[in-house]
Amino acid sequence: MKPKRRIAITGLGMVTPVGNDARTTWANLRAGKSGAGAIRYFDASGFPVRIGAEVKNFELPAALANSKHTKFASRSHRFALAAAEEALSDAGIRPQSDNAHRWGFSVGAGMMAVSYDELKITREFCANSDGELQPDGFIDPRYPADPVSFCRTQTNAGLGLLTQQFGIRGYATAVHTACASGGQALGTALKVMRRGLADYVLAGGFDSMLNPIGLSSFCLLGALSSDNDTPEKASRPFDATRNGFVLGEGAGFLVLEDWHAAQKRGAKIYCELAGDGNSLSSYRITDSPPDGDGPIQAIQQALADAGATSEEVDYVNAHGTSTQMNDRSECAALRAVLGGNVERVAVSSTKSCMGHLIAAAGAVEAGVCALAIRDGVAPVSANHENPDPDCNVGIVRGESKPMKIRVALSNSLGFGGSNSSLVFRNPSEVKV
Amino acid sequence: MGSPTNIAITGVGAVCGAGLSVDEIWNAIVNGKSAIAPIEQWDASRWPVNISAEVRNVENRTLVEDRKLHKMISRTDMFGLFAANQAVQQSGLLTYHETLDTAAKPKFNDRTGVFAGSGGGNYRSNYDYLPAMSAGDGDLKKFGGEFSSSVNPMWLLKNLPNNVLCHVGIRYGFKGTNACVTNQCVGGVLAIAEAAAALRNDEADRASATGHDTPFEPETVSGYHQLGLLSRDTLRPFDRDRSGTVFGEGAASVVLEKIEDAKARGAKILGEFLGCGCVTEGAGILDLRPDGDGVSRAIELALTDAGISAADVGLIVAHGNGTRASDASEALGIRRVFGANVPPVTAFKWAVGHLIAASGALDLVLALRALREKIAPGIATLKVIDPEVSPLPVSAKAQTPRSDIALVICRGFGGMNVALIVQTGV
Repeated sequence: MKPKRRIAITGLGMVTPVGNDARTTWANLRAGKSGAGAIRYFDASGFPVRIGAEVKNFELPAALANSKHTKFASRSHRFALAAAEEALSDAGIRPQSDNAHRWGFSVGAGMMAVSYDELKITREFCANSDGELQPDGFIDPRYPADPVSFCRTQTNAGLGLLTQQFGIRGYATAVHTACASGGQALGTALKVMRRGLADYVLAGGFDSMLNPIGLSSFCLLGALSSDNDTPEKASRPFDATRNGFVLGEGAGFLVLEDWHAAQKRGAKIYCELAGDGNSLSSYRITDSPPDGDGPIQAIQQALADAGATSEEVDYVNAHGTSTQMNDRSECAALRAVLGGNVERVAVSSTKSCMGHLIAAAGAVEAGVCALAIRDGVAPVSANHENPDPDCNVGIVRGESKPMKIRVALSNSLGFGGSNSSLVFRNPSEVKV
Repeated sequence: MGSPTNIAITGVGAVCGAGLSVDEIWNAIVNGKSAIAPIEQWDASRWPVNISAEVRNVENRTLVEDRKLHKMISRTDMFGLFAANQAVQQSGLLTYHETLDTAAKPKFNDRTGVFAGSGGGNYRSNYDYLPAMSAGDGDLKKFGGEFSSSVNPMWLLKNLPNNVLCHVGIRYGFKGTNACVTNQCVGGVLAIAEAAAALRNDEADRASATGHDTPFEPETVSGYHQLGLLSRDTLRPFDRDRSGTVFGEGAASVVLEKIEDAKARGAKILGEFLGCGCVTEGAGILDLRPDGDGVSRAIELALTDAGISAADVGLIVAHGNGTRASDASEALGIRRVFGANVPPVTAFKWAVGHLIAASGALDLVLALRALREKIAPGIATLKVIDPEVSPLPVSAKAQTPRSDIALVICRGFGGMNVALIVQTGV
């Protein structure tokens, strides 16, 4: 087999609960600063969970604020537009009319398109007093039909908006595998580039479920921490007292580029996106396999795909949601794959600060790995105070840890059992 | 052929308004029978648009045997699992798995991929929250205390776009590489294309790939109607008087295998996947370029991927959704590639409706059948070919494919254009 095409990460953009750009996000993650707090967007005072990790004081960057496309954009689309704009600016390269067809797009898009306010209109015009749907309401002349809002709620609306805004005309796709979406979108982007279908890919994820429906749907599952009085401590992955995740929101985008082309144009290269691994747990819809079966195969495949071994892995950005079951399952998988290296390898969950960005999580966390490699810092896994014997891995406790990172691994494990692992390699370890 | 690994199709399955199997659907089409009829899922008698190609008179139990699952998944997932099961059963993979020794079985499962193209979000699932909103009388604080008494605790899991992926995995034990594509109309075809790519790149040895969708519900009919995309009478692709598309619902599924593996286990090979092209026009959520730029680029990429030339294509299954803009630009895109030498063109949406995320997957399964039967079925609703699209060789009467290779075109929101190429004579 001929050697795989080598892919560089040359641009990053983030909108997260700890910062509206990559630089601020990274500084706060390094400092272990939490983005969680009482929910402010809507009155959550009657909900069993009243905390979340919201994006704060967000405004579209000037380059986008006047775009005619933004009227179609939902809250999470706006995060995506801003993060993608930042990533392209950071990379210093953009689609041009002569190469737009060689630019691809791959995104992990959130599942929740209809906002609570839109649902309120449906209730007002199309439901009886018991909340039963009355379809004729939609054709009543009084119903305030809004084609713009309808377009916004189409499943690939984000793809349509971003490819138009940035002039991308090549391979384009949107994926959704719940919490693994962002990781899978990057994995797809890597494969598309290796297949020679694109020379550049704008890849990432966006999501916001921090609305009354999203929040209640996670409350119903019992997946969220209800530590309403201590929001900053609520997300504590791998801690023995962990009791669920904190719902976040945001977007992360990366620019992927052919390694040699990036070098030739003198681009700054954060790292290599070196490998992708993908598996299904096929266990239960609600549970993670306690022995790590499923995630194990994804991690092994990603390392093999990258031509890397567990000896070279220095840092793992864990999925680490802070639920009992996920963290136990993931640690079992890490122990199985890392073997004798497990004490040495630094593991952290940046969800301890950012909360869980759902479909955006894997993309933002890929960006975190790129920054960790560049700066030689494993970010802290915040709020880890009480060791759990079931999570016996080398967790970065207390403060971030300066260290050279040769190879980093990022896991995204989704509801429904899709597991995605990505491998990143330090440019100094790339032998070309 | 251009690809180092040839990909066999060893199982197919489908369900839509025209039938509960590929046979039934095919027979309806060749007999000129359309499943488009008045809407039954709600009383649409007062609606400006009141037709669709619904799946009628089917019990959940017929679609998914396991009753426990019925509360855990939605209607679109049931169609997806039903079609996937047809394809998996036909492939004989489960019987083959039984013959493997204990050590080989887990490897088989780890090397079996699962791909789905899902309609993703829908509107009706959100209505589960309307009673709690009403009980709170619009007050969020009250809503926060109400929802847990009226909404299914499994609501989120029930509505996951990736449920077919998950339940195909659980049902058959498949645990390999996977993706759930939520790219509106092209979700199903991209799921198949990504599955084929995974086999070519040796990420898996075989895969199940399914497109499924139930786009048809009051809010989408109302929304598409507002946008002027729906026909009030019937779906007439490429006709001078075409006036829009009509929703259908359902699913289609294939099993793909490396051809040498399929041959080694003595599987019946229904066809071969040759190639795919995928592009966006980058023109926004709804807009299409009038020149069919995306169509021709996708076709060219698919031909290159397949290692064939335009002259080798014997049949084109067009997207043919019946809207004015899409059919006209599609015809231009096809003619740009094929010039004066266009093979017979057909389309199936007049009979099955527009299945959105499942549409292209269903077209692919039907294209294989058309090649096998050596029939390009007539478009029964076609009366007068639009001078704008002529001289495209479309007809109300059946035509004969000029080779055993078919090109399937699928288009969608986001300026998406995907072309797939399959062959039967193997």
